[in-house]
Amino acid sequence: MNGWERVKSSKSRFGRHSHISSDDRPSRTVRLGHVQPQAPTHRTIYCNDRDANLTVKFKGNSISTTKYNFFTFIPKGLFEQFRRVANLYFLMISILSATPFSPVSPVTNMVPLSLVLLVSLCKEAYEDWKRFQNDMAINNTLVDVLQDQRWEPIPWKKLQVGDIVKVKQDGFFPADLLFLASTNADGVCYTETANLDGETNLKIRKALERTWDYVTPEKAWEFKGEVQCEQPNNSLYTFTGNLIHQKQTLPLTPNQILLRGCSLRNTAYIVAAVIFTGHETKVMMNAMNVPSKRSTLERKLDKLILTLLATLFVMCFIGAIGSATFINRKYYYLSLGKGVEAQFNPDNRLVVFAATMLTLVTLFSTIIPISLYVSIEMIKIFQSTQYINKDLHMYHAETNTPALARTSNLNEELGQVEYIFSDKTGTLTRNMMEFFKCSIGGEVYGTGISEIEMGGAQRTGKRVEMYKSANAVHEKGFNFDDARLMRGAWRNEPNPDMCKEFFRCLAICHTVLPEGDDSPEKITYQAASPDEAALVIAAKNFGFFFYRRTPTMIYVRESHVEKMGKIDDVAYEILNVLEFNSTRKRQSVVCRYPNGRLVLYCKGADSVIYERLAPGQDDLKRITRENLEQYGSAGLRTLCLAYRDLSPEIYEGWNEKFIQAKSSLRDREKKLDEVAELIEKELILIGCTAIEDKLQEGVPDCIETLSKAGIKIWVLTGDKMETAINIAYACKLIHNDMKQFIISSETDVIREVEERGDPVELARVMKEEVRKELSKSLEEAQSCFHTVSGPKLALVIDGKCLMYALDPNLRTMLLNLSLNCTSVVCCRVSPLQKAQVTSLVKKGARKITLSIGDGANDVSMIQAAHVGVGISGQEGMQAVMASDFAIAQFRFLSDLLLVHGRWSYLRICKVVTYFFYKNLTFTLTQFWFTFQAGFSGQRFYDDWFQSLYNVMFTSLPVIIFGLFEKDVSASLSKKYPQLYKEGIRNSYFKWRVVAAWAFSAFYQSLIFYHFVTASSSTGLNSSGKMFGLWDVSTMAFTCVVVTVNLRLLLMCNSITRWHHIGISGSILAWFVFVCIYSLIRENLSYVIYVIMSTVYFYLTFLLVPIVALLGDFLWQGIQRWFFPYDYQIIQEIHRHEPDDYTGAMGLEIRNQLTTDQERSFAISLLPRETSKYTGFAFDSPGYESFFASQHGVYAPQKAWDVIRRASMRTKPKTSTKK
Amino acid sequence: MAERGETSSAVGNDAAQVPFTSAQKISKRPKYSRFTQQELPACKPILTPGWVITAFILVGVVFIPIGLASLLASKRVVEIVDRYDEDCIPQSFKNKTLGYMQDDKTNKTCTRSLVVPKLMKSPIYVYYQLSNFYQNHRRYVKSRSDQQLRSKDGEWKTTNCEPESLVGDKGPIVPCGLIAWSLFNDTYKFSVNDTRLDVNKNNIAWDSDRKHKFGSDVYPKNFQSGGLIGGAKLNSSIPLSEQEDLIVWMRTAALPTFRKLYGKIEHDLEANKTITVTIQNNYNTYDFEGKKHLVLSTASWIGGKNDFLGVAYLAVGGICLFSAIAFILVYVLVPRPLGDPSYLSWNRNPAGRWK
Repeated sequence: MNGWERVKSSKSRFGRHSHISSDDRPSRTVRLGHVQPQAPTHRTIYCNDRDANLTVKFKGNSISTTKYNFFTFIPKGLFEQFRRVANLYFLMISILSATPFSPVSPVTNMVPLSLVLLVSLCKEAYEDWKRFQNDMAINNTLVDVLQDQRWEPIPWKKLQVGDIVKVKQDGFFPADLLFLASTNADGVCYTETANLDGETNLKIRKALERTWDYVTPEKAWEFKGEVQCEQPNNSLYTFTGNLIHQKQTLPLTPNQILLRGCSLRNTAYIVAAVIFTGHETKVMMNAMNVPSKRSTLERKLDKLILTLLATLFVMCFIGAIGSATFINRKYYYLSLGKGVEAQFNPDNRLVVFAATMLTLVTLFSTIIPISLYVSIEMIKIFQSTQYINKDLHMYHAETNTPALARTSNLNEELGQVEYIFSDKTGTLTRNMMEFFKCSIGGEVYGTGISEIEMGGAQRTGKRVEMYKSANAVHEKGFNFDDARLMRGAWRNEPNPDMCKEFFRCLAICHTVLPEGDDSPEKITYQAASPDEAALVIAAKNFGFFFYRRTPTMIYVRESHVEKMGKIDDVAYEILNVLEFNSTRKRQSVVCRYPNGRLVLYCKGADSVIYERLAPGQDDLKRITRENLEQYGSAGLRTLCLAYRDLSPEIYEGWNEKFIQAKSSLRDREKKLDEVAELIEKELILIGCTAIEDKLQEGVPDCIETLSKAGIKIWVLTGDKMETAINIAYACKLIHNDMKQFIISSETDVIREVEERGDPVELARVMKEEVRKELSKSLEEAQSCFHTVSGPKLALVIDGKCLMYALDPNLRTMLLNLSLNCTSVVCCRVSPLQKAQVTSLVKKGARKITLSIGDGANDVSMIQAAHVGVGISGQEGMQAVMASDFAIAQFRFLSDLLLVHGRWSYLRICKVVTYFFYKNLTFTLTQFWFTFQAGFSGQRFYDDWFQSLYNVMFTSLPVIIFGLFEKDVSASLSKKYPQLYKEGIRNSYFKWRVVAAWAFSAFYQSLIFYHFVTASSSTGLNSSGKMFGLWDVSTMAFTCVVVTVNLRLLLMCNSITRWHHIGISGSILAWFVFVCIYSLIRENLSYVIYVIMSTVYFYLTFLLVPIVALLGDFLWQGIQRWFFPYDYQIIQEIHRHEPDDYTGAMGLEIRNQLTTDQERSFAISLLPRETSKYTGFAFDSPGYESFFASQHGVYAPQKAWDVIRRASMRTKPKTSTKK
Repeated sequence: MAERGETSSAVGNDAAQVPFTSAQKISKRPKYSRFTQQELPACKPILTPGWVITAFILVGVVFIPIGLASLLASKRVVEIVDRYDEDCIPQSFKNKTLGYMQDDKTNKTCTRSLVVPKLMKSPIYVYYQLSNFYQNHRRYVKSRSDQQLRSKDGEWKTTNCEPESLVGDKGPIVPCGLIAWSLFNDTYKFSVNDTRLDVNKNNIAWDSDRKHKFGSDVYPKNFQSGGLIGGAKLNSSIPLSEQEDLIVWMRTAALPTFRKLYGKIEHDLEANKTITVTIQNNYNTYDFEGKKHLVLSTASWIGGKNDFLGVAYLAVGGICLFSAIAFILVYVLVPRPLGDPSYLSWNRNPAGRWK
């Protein structure tokens, strides 16, 4: 990750374009913005000719992602601030307080507002400054530009359209470039687009043959091309244009375009011409807004604020009525005679009423806590940047990934999650494939027992011995133990020829690229998916070592084929590659043996392979089918392998059609598929492979913990039902005590209708069936649910049924059923359905949902849920980029939710209620005074007291509280996951809780007002002198500040020295302030010294806070004794235990790896290794990851695929899952 | 909008320079600190019954003696309160008080006899007490000019004083504003057995007011020279800092019923002695049904006669002791062992289901 991501997520001046359409279609590629209609005109660029380009004023290459500049900062920043309702409210109050209606001077409301604005603006400025520095760093990076036949390093920002640049290995492209030449043969270069779409696979770009030679500066100087191309746009994968070079017009494709933000790999350097610069580059035009989510609590907070506003209105109304009745000429000392202002004129009481309304609104405006939002924001930012991002418990050493809170808005939402929607592959499982078993010619090989089988065995109570033969080979990607196939032993098996075909199929039919030394120990394979690599590694271990690839050849070092110990290097000519796509679900390779034998090797999903098998082989088909099912139930990922011998005539005939299709300009994809069908038939089944995808570390424990916490976990997967159920068992999602409802489309009734092939009829029957199943299950579920100790329920439903169940008519039924279930497994679902299910629960049940996933197919689900969590540290960043939080492992979810989420929720709730309380208390004392001041709206407190109350005397402790409050320690939070239920039930922010605080505020304000006034009604001190208004109010204010701060101490569960500093600091700050202030303020002169010179002060100061807190203290004592909260009991249980102290050492010890873990560590590093690959590239770069998609892993579309398919965008975009 | 800023900063913090370095080798392992791991040493108080009972007993033990002491001090204070506003109106003027008050010619002298209930030790403070007089009304409170009161230079700063700010062509009123204008002007003369009791009117205002708020170079000017006379007139040859009645009056009261110090009698008064008070009943409170009281009071260390603090202390102390006893009883009768897991909600609901 790097600065580019900032570029993308930060506001760009083109950001508004992305608002043009905002439909929530799940896309199958990473969506960085929407493709806009292109401008009708085109631009002409004269390469290597700055003067010619001068006439057209192209934009420079310097970029700016800052929101503000020096001049716009104040107006724009303020504008942004006043878009917040709370700030606007206070602005209005401030304006109002500058009118004669106001009882307070404008300072009262201006000071807190400006302080709040200052804090916010400082934050904005700091962030913008960082953005600016980042921009500067990028703008000042040097790049070699061709000047006078020499490469001159100049900063990026000076780059101009038409310049010829040289980019060295691992360098970043400074602008959108037209690729001219490369040091690689064939004018090829490799680019990494991780900054653009998160893909770590290298993409291949190829220059036009005509320009291959312009490598040296001398030669490049001669290049004078003219580029006519489209206007800048934000479509990453399209480009149309022509290069007019030496009077020839050469069409340009995206294949020649190197995009800014990508970096060069495995190529010494390239030479390219600049086409789009700065903000006109595609990556900059794709900069888009991150959709912001608001937490549920915050929305509730809005309601609270509205309630406060209503209260404010009521208070003002009462006061205004009072005022209108009170005002009377009889109070001659008020001089309400003829010339009196309208607001006091007894002749027009309506005006008096209205004016007093305004007066009181300004006076009571403190009821809305102005610093609330700013405080909460600060607390949340601390929580996310300091706690979540830096939690060592969530740091994954193996992938070097700490947790990442991408938004700080949703911290407390994490504490209230009730439903988790989880992807399976890569989230629950490791997505690290190991060749585990296979079946060749009906014979089963591989003796291992998968984790899932172990889980299954455990649930039936069987004991399973892990047995491993002494010479079992185990390397990354290969965990296969069967001596019958190893070291050439397969030659003694019943059908060695079948074995040979099997191994050759594995060694030849793939898109893997070898890398490094061509010795079996040192070679590494660069594969799009770990499955592919696993299969090739398997072939290697069986003695068919694929070590080299050229555009037309695959070299395999075969051992033990002809006779034991003999090693042959065999070169297979690759004639055609029939690539994978989601409709074909298979991949084939036509190859020619050195002896001229023509073979088509094919591997793919059982369903598609079986359809294309040659007649006969019934026994083999039956046995293999059984094996496939067996593997499936063991949670293994299966593939069928088949081959077909081709006669030269058939091949030649077909090849012509193939070439024709390949060169067709329209619908090429479709035509290629059709042609492929012609040859992929009459296949001979060889066998099948089974690959194990192990569960992530700690998944079952984590799931168990989470379900104890009252969280319901739904697994949404593209897997087969059996696999899904088995995984669910292995993860402890489902166990045998549960009552399971299975709604499957694989019933006889449906199959029968399916065979008839009438889609309308099928839909009707399916819907009817699903409805029947649902209502039956619901009935049973409800009867179960009404009995006290009935079994827990689980629902398993497959994608097809889900499609009908999500129908508006059946939706409520599905919802009712699934809400009663502790766990739900949806299998064979598409990304769209994942999102639909998520929003069904989110909107239908109004529960807080969390989605977790790792791949692009989870993006829609992640965006649909309240909280989206992405698994980071693996290939692909799409999920992370769409998520709100990113963690490296599923198991960290327990830390994220039970520790951070719970604490954040608790803290924010308490902070909010406390804010509510302290401001209500303060305002109510003022309100009581209004009754005794003739409803005139006279302020009880001095202006500055009132204005600093929120920002100085009571703000710090509550922020400290929000940062450090802990009811129970982190380890106890995880030990007693049930504590989390308080969040789900929203125990801390119910109206009841708020009402209790309101009552407390009411009680305390009465105490403050009446105790202080009543006790000061006679002569004070032995000198018999009397107090005035300001003496009494200063006294009252002192009591309020002290009490409110002490009240905070009373609600703390853990008191650090920061609490002491904050609370005593605030109280001290008040005294220091008032001592200085009363010296300089006229109407308050020496007030504090006067009152402090009396005994009265000390007596009251002792009495009032204690009386005020007595009620709360008593209630807390009673509550703890008779109605203890769970956390209180747990505090008591563990009261003698020392604090958590992980220390730096504690985690180190935990991180010491067993050998097995080390191996998985090594595997985990595999896909992240930087490719050193410099070898071969296919002539048409573009293989979608066949195996990945085959197994229900969504294979993100590669740029090159998109490039080629850009013309075919009308195709349905889902159903990549088989 | 602001949200986006946060997000990007959260994402991009450590990544700012990445295009130019290799991020792969740097460990992203967060550094350990007690703060980030939320393991700051903390005291974790648990409000056990022991603590609750101790706290209550402590408060009770401290408060009851204080309460007793305050109450005793308050009880020792001898106070004579006499409402005179009604009785000081001649019968004939009962229904036309306004005319009576405004007429210069009516005799406003009124004589009251007060009996000293107990020995009153000197100094005896003389207060006047007004009710239903809203000195805390917004219009009233702001109707003053502190600058003007403090120094001669502020003479013209009368913006807040309307309508008592300027007198036609004669310039500003000093002291301006409604507060000064409505200065209390009843006077009291005391005598016992025809012996005159002197009322010391010095040092009745707070020192800080005299020294810092009212200037010694500010003299009354144009005061009460307008059409309507609000109250007392001031001797324009005495600087404001020595006009203690004004200073006392201008420390506006917090509540509509208030007492203000009138003066001190520096003689002991024997019990059962009758004090004759000659009142000049000048001040008009009849318009707004305000009551006027004359208060004679001694003072103890706690101040004047005010049982409130004592009673409050005693009551709170009593409540605390009572609560302590109640808690002890509960502790004995319904014990709840600390940290009993059976109290956990999930142990109470065996089914473990939450709806």
